[in-house]
Amino acid sequence: MEQKSEWDPQIVGFLCKWCSYAGADLAGTSRKKYPPNVRVIKVPCSGRVDPLFVLKGLRMGFDGVLVSGCHPGDCHYQTGNYRARRKMAITKKFLEYMGVEPERIQASWVSASEGDKFAATVADVTDNLKKTGPNRLFEDRRENNGTEASK
Amino acid sequence: MEQKLRSEARALLEQGKVDYIFGYEPGSLKFTTTPLLTRDKNDVDRLVVNPFIVNNLAKFLTELKGRVGIVVKGCDSRSLVSLIQDNKVARGNVVILGVPCEGLIDLSKVEKLVGRERDELDDILREGDKVFVTVDGKKREFPIADVAFDKCLACELPTPKEYDILLGAPTSPIGQKDAGYTAIDNLKGKIPQERWEFWKKEFSRCIRCYACRNVCPACFCQRCFVEETEPKWVEPTANWQDNLLFQVVRNIHVAGRCSDCGECERACPVKIPLRALTREMYDIVGELFDFKTGMDKNEPSLMTHYEKEEAEGLIR
Repeated sequence: MEQKSEWDPQIVGFLCKWCSYAGADLAGTSRKKYPPNVRVIKVPCSGRVDPLFVLKGLRMGFDGVLVSGCHPGDCHYQTGNYRARRKMAITKKFLEYMGVEPERIQASWVSASEGDKFAATVADVTDNLKKTGPNRLFEDRRENNGTEASK
Repeated sequence: MEQKLRSEARALLEQGKVDYIFGYEPGSLKFTTTPLLTRDKNDVDRLVVNPFIVNNLAKFLTELKGRVGIVVKGCDSRSLVSLIQDNKVARGNVVILGVPCEGLIDLSKVEKLVGRERDELDDILREGDKVFVTVDGKKREFPIADVAFDKCLACELPTPKEYDILLGAPTSPIGQKDAGYTAIDNLKGKIPQERWEFWKKEFSRCIRCYACRNVCPACFCQRCFVEETEPKWVEPTANWQDNLLFQVVRNIHVAGRCSDCGECERACPVKIPLRALTREMYDIVGELFDFKTGMDKNEPSLMTHYEKEEAEGLIR
């Protein structure tokens, strides 16, 4: 059976409970249209996002990872997003060095009132990922795997 | 230097200033040393300082109770300071015996140059920036830059910055910066896919023995994420995907605490060039946050500190 479906990027989004998650909620309640490619995980603070989550997302086959929190200075826990910024900055740089396309790791500041910005960010990230292509980083490419043989 | 170390160590034990002395003694094999931990003042005569004191003893401090007199090289002292910054070790509990390091000798480099196994070498002698290797009664001369560990060639601070007793005159770096960077430069010239393929190949060799983690002074978590089962982050079997994930995440976790002491690479049984990762992380941290590991015990560590404005270009 030939299965032909167009590839669409899948993004896992780690959104902070106080700002970005509420921002995403606002985008929804104000009926903003944005690509349905992001799967949202609510975290208590963007500072909770261990770089391990980013790697695990890519390992599981997500095409991109979006980490989003409050604007600098607005963190509910005062400093969580500053810490997130340090972590995400080194993660992004380091993975770029390893050979991961930088588009796959995204971080943004979205406040609870920025439904528009959230929609725009997701649209933009999705767009970029469409250009980058599917995540084959952790794929084992074998010439004669089951599906090939069955053809 | 050795005599000074022994007398200082003896004095520290006799005066009751420390409970333990932690240094190096000759190993059971030629040209090796092994850590020596003792409370007995008669053991201090076994202490040695030579170009083969490879281990980073700071690793064990988190597991020791009581006051310890510890022998450290430049790189070890930075690991130690980083542990102090993270409140893992109390400064008052350690007496730091600093060894101004002239660069350690990499036996595998000597073996390659001489073409013999290490057991067949009669003697290795260090004099200034020359190393004399005696084999079959013949003395051969090499510049230190040819036989030192890569990490020592690129070393910035061979003399410990933090110490109580310095065991000799401060030394200057060998200063062959480029040598340690060759692997990184080669990689950086490649396109992302090629870099990924390179690491994929390297990590398919990994047997996940966790020697790199166990030897790392910055890896002091009581429980590592790789051993967690709820949720299970990585498969326990050695496949290149999880090997790579483990090592990348480990490097990110120790960012700002890794002093690029090169112990992970030395411990690796399958010779994965791990310093090409640690060195790059060291540079990234320096470039983004102007931070260097273990420079000042009164400074906050990388991840406990932040600036109001930094790294903004990376976040939308």
